[in-house]
Amino acid sequence: MKIKERKRDGVAILEMSGKLMGGPDATAFGDTLKTLIHEGVTNIIVDLGKVSWVNSTGLGILISGYSTVKKNGGDLKLLHVSDRIESIFMVSKLHTVFTSFDDEDEAVRSFA
Amino acid sequence: MSAEQGTHHIELKIPSQLVFLGVPDAILMELAGDLPAEQKTLDELSTSVIEACTNAMEHGNGMDADRFVELHFDFAPDRIQVTVLDAGPGFDFNHWTPPEDLLRERGRGITIMREFCDTLEFDTAPDGRFRVRLSKTLGEDA
Repeated sequence: MKIKERKRDGVAILEMSGKLMGGPDATAFGDTLKTLIHEGVTNIIVDLGKVSWVNSTGLGILISGYSTVKKNGGDLKLLHVSDRIESIFMVSKLHTVFTSFDDEDEAVRSFA
Repeated sequence: MSAEQGTHHIELKIPSQLVFLGVPDAILMELAGDLPAEQKTLDELSTSVIEACTNAMEHGNGMDADRFVELHFDFAPDRIQVTVLDAGPGFDFNHWTPPEDLLRERGRGITIMREFCDTLEFDTAPDGRFRVRLSKTLGEDA
């Protein structure tokens, strides 16, 4: 998994690519969030548009990030969730936890 | 591979390293692409196989790269079955209940497999290895 980071209107957008499946991915994602929170950036959008698949361990990475950001007064929302990944969120009921968007502008505006 | 070609059996061994989880996914997508299956059906089966392999690597083989996860793919015109074997002792599936905490970071793999597959069986193979068998019916009504 690769993470490309950029900021827009005070919101950090993390463009993920590859496969989200735990192991080193958890460390990389956790470290990225830790740095952002240290910088005072707690509104996060995770763009999953280039992620081919997620396993349950990968879901755990997103949940851990969500909990961390929430504890620091922010929020973590999802962007460009594919049908394949969306179905995993549905069966695990995580669609009730994460807010997701198809449009980046709308996702950024949701933090205003 | 076309439906007229009948059944096919493929065996594969992958080291217990997460980086290899994409291999069974690639095999399913490549070989089932011509079968009469909706993409959603293949996605659900492949996601389930990835979960079974993740469990096999972590819980069965302790992420020991020298221990292998063995997969058997059985392709039929109307059905795919995948068997996943690891070196672990397994667990008592009959008494397994899903954790309730929505924000837990682990413990969703079995739920995902159970929801996505038509059949899901856990048992011990004759050689003592832990065995998971998943299957999904293909076709428009799958």
